[in-house]
Amino acid sequence: MSCGNPTVEGESIMPRRKKYDKTRYCVRCKEAEGNIVIRHAVYCKDCFSPLITHKFRKGLEPSINRKPDLSRRTALKPDGNLLVGVSGGLGSTVLLDLLHRCYVSMDESTMPSDGGRQHPRHERVWKKVTVCYVEMCDAFPGMRDRTSDVERRVAQYAGLDFVPLRIQDAFDPEWCRKVHASRKESSFSVDMTTEELRLSAIASSSASTPLQALHGYMSSLPTATAVPTTVQTLVRLLLLHTAVQSGSSHLVLGTSLTSLAVSLISGISQGRGYNLKEEVQEEWVPDDSDEPCPPGSGSKQGGARARKPYVRVIRPLRDIGRKECALWAWWRGLNVVGKEQQPWSGAKQDIGILTREFITGLEKDYPSTVSAIVRTCSKVEPKGRAGGLCALCARPIQDGVQEWKSRISIRSRDGSQREPSPTSATLTPRLCYGCHTTLTSRSSRPAPSLGLPSSDRSTVPLPLWVGSGVPRSRLSEQQMKDAVSEFLLEGDTS
Amino acid sequence: MPPRLCALCNEARAILKRPKTGQQICKECFFWVFETEVHNTITEAELFKPGDRVAIGASGGKDSTVLAHVMKTLNERYQYGLELFLLSIDEGITGYRDDSLETVKRNQQQYDMPLKILSYNELYGWTMDAIVSQIGKKNNCTFCGVFRRQALDRGAASLHVDHIVTGHNADDIAETVLMNIMRGDIARLGRCTLICTQGEDTIKRSKPFKYAYEKEIVMYAYFKKLDYFSTECIYSPDAYRGHARVFLKDLEAARPSAIIDIIHSGETFEVKEEVKATQKTQQTCKRCGYMSSNELCKACTLLEGLERGMAAAAVTERARKKLDAEGPAPENLRTIPFYQQAHPPTNAAGLPI
Amino acid sequence: MSGLVSVKVEFSGGLELLFDNQRSHRVSVPSHVSTSGKKTLNNNEGTDAGEGRPADLAHLILWLRDNLLKEREELFVENGTVRPGILVLVNDTDWELEGEGDYQLRDGDDIVFISTLHGG
Repeated sequence: MSCGNPTVEGESIMPRRKKYDKTRYCVRCKEAEGNIVIRHAVYCKDCFSPLITHKFRKGLEPSINRKPDLSRRTALKPDGNLLVGVSGGLGSTVLLDLLHRCYVSMDESTMPSDGGRQHPRHERVWKKVTVCYVEMCDAFPGMRDRTSDVERRVAQYAGLDFVPLRIQDAFDPEWCRKVHASRKESSFSVDMTTEELRLSAIASSSASTPLQALHGYMSSLPTATAVPTTVQTLVRLLLLHTAVQSGSSHLVLGTSLTSLAVSLISGISQGRGYNLKEEVQEEWVPDDSDEPCPPGSGSKQGGARARKPYVRVIRPLRDIGRKECALWAWWRGLNVVGKEQQPWSGAKQDIGILTREFITGLEKDYPSTVSAIVRTCSKVEPKGRAGGLCALCARPIQDGVQEWKSRISIRSRDGSQREPSPTSATLTPRLCYGCHTTLTSRSSRPAPSLGLPSSDRSTVPLPLWVGSGVPRSRLSEQQMKDAVSEFLLEGDTS
Repeated sequence: MPPRLCALCNEARAILKRPKTGQQICKECFFWVFETEVHNTITEAELFKPGDRVAIGASGGKDSTVLAHVMKTLNERYQYGLELFLLSIDEGITGYRDDSLETVKRNQQQYDMPLKILSYNELYGWTMDAIVSQIGKKNNCTFCGVFRRQALDRGAASLHVDHIVTGHNADDIAETVLMNIMRGDIARLGRCTLICTQGEDTIKRSKPFKYAYEKEIVMYAYFKKLDYFSTECIYSPDAYRGHARVFLKDLEAARPSAIIDIIHSGETFEVKEEVKATQKTQQTCKRCGYMSSNELCKACTLLEGLERGMAAAAVTERARKKLDAEGPAPENLRTIPFYQQAHPPTNAAGLPI
Repeated sequence: MSGLVSVKVEFSGGLELLFDNQRSHRVSVPSHVSTSGKKTLNNNEGTDAGEGRPADLAHLILWLRDNLLKEREELFVENGTVRPGILVLVNDTDWELEGEGDYQLRDGDDIVFISTLHGG
């Protein structure tokens, strides 16, 4: 029915509440006057610190042991080392600070007060903590290289290893060999002008430099939204592979409650509903998991027992809002290196930025919005069978995605999907809905130019990890024999 | 430059850029894809069976006018074998609904379908004009929404139909997915992307335009020269939903597939079993017999609040408790008339959550 | 009564970049706002102070925009107040506890603006 407000069904009202409940006194100690309002609750400065460290530990510790463990008295024994992904922004600055206080410098004030000094949680948890920063300035012209700023910032904390990467490492065979991201020697390029996304192998002789490959890939993306989404995916995969290489069983990220709410809504708006779970917490097993563990991975931990590599991605700040993060940084005198991204011409056309502005504006009038979003998303689970992992983002693909797309939006008159010829490999069947949309969905306006040198070829190189799992166009004789063996008559094995 | 050819038939000249796919296509191909996608939606979900009596919720606005036209077209083209009716609800909004009902009456002639009009006044003893004059404009959409939903079910029962189809389009559904996530409304989140839900007395309700873009519905009406009424309701909708609408339009401008992408997202997840278990089970309203998650259904609660001059009673928990504290409901409270289904329900299986 | 109120203003979280990359400022603003006034202010208005309502935080924000801000005003002010996502502290306390823009400035106040828009 068109009443201009068609789906109202009851509780349509969202009453605005006062910014804080009842009194100005701290809800925790009930003595001091409050200094901060956190989603309607008032806290004083003294109670704020333990509140944040408590939320941080609660967001991390139950996921440290292989088996999720809610008991607070069990010793924390991770399967491997720890990798911290940092961007220099507010969240990761606060994450690094909390992590160092709680698990590296072992600041007594952050420890649980019950159980005394013998409490198992007072032991050092991780043997090795590595901080990884991915510099993305080469994807956005005019952006400053902040690697040394971040490195200086990390160096202020003792006992951390620092690994700086660049976004174009995703296209660097050298890096891939180092982290075992792909065993294949060949790499692939894709034709982004068609829905099927045809693949072709790149001969190693004609391969471009990693920077050229990055520029070619980025400048052929069809929309403004696809640009930051692609950068995020590249950074995520670079971090995951680095985690495996550094023998880390855990990767922690500085995603705050607010940024999590933004990425959930932005993900939903980009068709990534099937992967909401992974947006909160995920466990990633590298594709070539039958490979021996890279050196240093866990095997030293519990004797010679080699573990199958896996990386658990945790966002320990997921219950701490952006406001609390900012206040933590302010009161602890932390300098946030990252600055707000230079506005590029695509900002108004970027679903990620639109979502962030929308949520930020809403949060001002309705402070509980962000926690409502995160809570709601934690109450749902993916529906239906998963059909493998996406070649680009390495997250589960829902079965039947392409059939759904062609039924909902008809794109050809002959009714049936054009079957790609079996000889040409295509990327589309190996992508999740979100990544396929990122590479193919267009806007009525052309994508704003990134100002990057674009390649003059019709196909662009893919990140190297896409190589693994692509069917070879030519089978070896033995493979062909294996494939047809059951149809061969006995004796005909010449 | 030669005229651009239609991306679908490669014969006729392209005259429009399709909002949903960005393809440049001709008029005939636009009609064909629009109608075929609705047909796909209907057949994929197996919405109807031959002989079904189906009421089209008709407001006179663009969505329901186009829906009536497309339902009639598809029913004839694919021989669904449906008996179609128009069902209109008169909320009693002077200068808005009285005008749009004139459009529905013309549609009745044009499409040659029986029309039933049921008014709030007849059912509840209140028009929206009277409600707004008592409670103001603030929460009036809550009343209207609850009352309309029940009125449609009751009207459908009086027509002895099996099925109500409404003109909810893809934009409405995408917006509702976002709203339910932001409001934490788990029960509705699980339901809102379903194409078909079951209402009162196992009358099915479905949304054949679930994947149809609002822009394309307007385009379809324009090129088919359909007669519809286009005025916004004079009682304005709530601010929070307004924010979501603007946001959705921004997303669509950034990338037109966003609307369908949001619906896709909504279809890929479901409420966890352990969360479902904690939700309220359905019962029947002790006063009017309508299905309800409480002793009294939403409409009866709202009505009681109105009658007793405490309109906020059904809007907030606190006000409801206050109402209860005032003592039991007076004896002479109005009972919303209940229309009995004529034939036994076709699907008596458990009600949806 | 003096015509000016002197406060310390600090910017953090990237906001300092809009203010000449200087984090801490000491500013004196007219202690009273002309009631006939418009929203825009300038330096000279301090001369006939003593009339009108006492200067509040909302007033300071616009004063900073007009007198101290060096670039890209839209990153600091929106709809007559600070842009959503900017946290304001009055003497180390969340301005939401102090009445937000209605807080009346006092000599020696320490006002902090922190941008929270820097992501993960």
